[in-house]
Amino acid sequence: MYRKQVRRRRAVLTLLIIGSFVLLTITYGQSSGGLQRGVSTVFSPLQTVADRALKPARDLVGWFDKTFDARGENSRLKSELAKAREQSVAGQEALQENRQLRKLVALDRGPALAASAYEPVTGRVIARSPTVWQSTVTIDMGKDDGVRVDDPVVSGDGLVGRIASVEGGSSQAALITDHASAVSAKVVPGGVQGVTRPDVGNPEELILDFIQSSKDIHVGQAVVTAGWRAQGLASLFPPGLPIGEVISASIVEQEASQQVRLRPYADLANLDMVQVLTGGSPR
Amino acid sequence: MIVTPKIFARLVAIAILGVLLQLSFFSRVELFHTSPDILPPLVVSLGLLGGSLAGAVSGFSIGLLVDCLLVAPLGGSSLVLLSAGYLAGLFRERFEIHSSLVPPLLCMGLTLLAELGFALVQVMLGLDAPVSSLVVRDMLLKSIYAFFLGWPIYLALRRLLRPALVEEPKVRRRKQPTVLGA
Repeated sequence: MYRKQVRRRRAVLTLLIIGSFVLLTITYGQSSGGLQRGVSTVFSPLQTVADRALKPARDLVGWFDKTFDARGENSRLKSELAKAREQSVAGQEALQENRQLRKLVALDRGPALAASAYEPVTGRVIARSPTVWQSTVTIDMGKDDGVRVDDPVVSGDGLVGRIASVEGGSSQAALITDHASAVSAKVVPGGVQGVTRPDVGNPEELILDFIQSSKDIHVGQAVVTAGWRAQGLASLFPPGLPIGEVISASIVEQEASQQVRLRPYADLANLDMVQVLTGGSPR
Repeated sequence: MIVTPKIFARLVAIAILGVLLQLSFFSRVELFHTSPDILPPLVVSLGLLGGSLAGAVSGFSIGLLVDCLLVAPLGGSSLVLLSAGYLAGLFRERFEIHSSLVPPLLCMGLTLLAELGFALVQVMLGLDAPVSSLVVRDMLLKSIYAFFLGWPIYLALRRLLRPALVEEPKVRRRKQPTVLGA
């Protein structure tokens, strides 16, 4: 009797392990199948309800976490504020000059304003992946709202990611910290171009790659999307979306490039409301 | 574990509630820059209460549900969580749980193992990015959170599944003989 039980237990375990590997093999690299779409559609309303019901509790935990962080950040922010004031004054002057120059060369409808072709749709984040390996969030908007795969996702602070898969009433967005993410970007002012990629396991930082070591990059400079367009191909992201701020720039030894580290402007750990820029990029 | 239709319904409800709580709450809060993961402690507790088979099946099902909801390659989370559930169940079948610290300690150890498993699965799927040392910190913190979360999860599940549990009767301590009732 006991042996029979042990044999049955082993058989079930073997079956489950084989099943997991078969599922992995079948679904790896494929778009979401019918099962995933179905489950996602069924659970989407439940997730929305859970998201709203649990928001006060989330905010409470967030308050505690932020209070711990705030102590250390206070002095850093004070010095940053002083710097920002100086930059703000300089920026106002540059803005004034920019307006005058635009009028002169009639650049009002130039490529820098291509972002206006996008139609933003606002939605709420209802779920988030539990591991540091996958940085994805679920948004309560899907095909029915005009959301399509690869649409850029932004928050009030800057670029968040892009839509990775869409169902009827919900969609999954891969964040810029997801291991598969890569965004063409440029440092401003200066216009030095590179590609931002994630520092896996460290969702608070990004790496800007392919920057020549001869280019001068300073801590505090902003990095925005480059939004290139060439030979019928175009970047998924419109130009000028803020990505993050340079926090360190070091030259990699024996390489002709420097590694620039960024802190994303968007608070990716506490996303609540996001906008999906729909209908813009040509595909 | 004696699985009647009523107990089965409770197990399904526990799995769904656990996954929803994880995706809508625990994954979205951070303490010291790390989100707690309640799914490994949940599966470990089910394994400890129900045995290796119950642990493996619940781990597989919960993993499958998570992968479905996150539109991730199916089977990755299932493989990791079924291993955690099976090992917890095996522990329960081989050893007696003498101390109340055993469930949370097991939750902590097996969560660490599960986090390593998630990393292995990602490497197996072709993770093409530099891995920072902060991943190790994340894994350690997650397992420490599992220690603190594992205890209430285990107690709550034991209460919910009490009618189905096959528990050995507690050995009553014999009263020491006394002299003249002293």
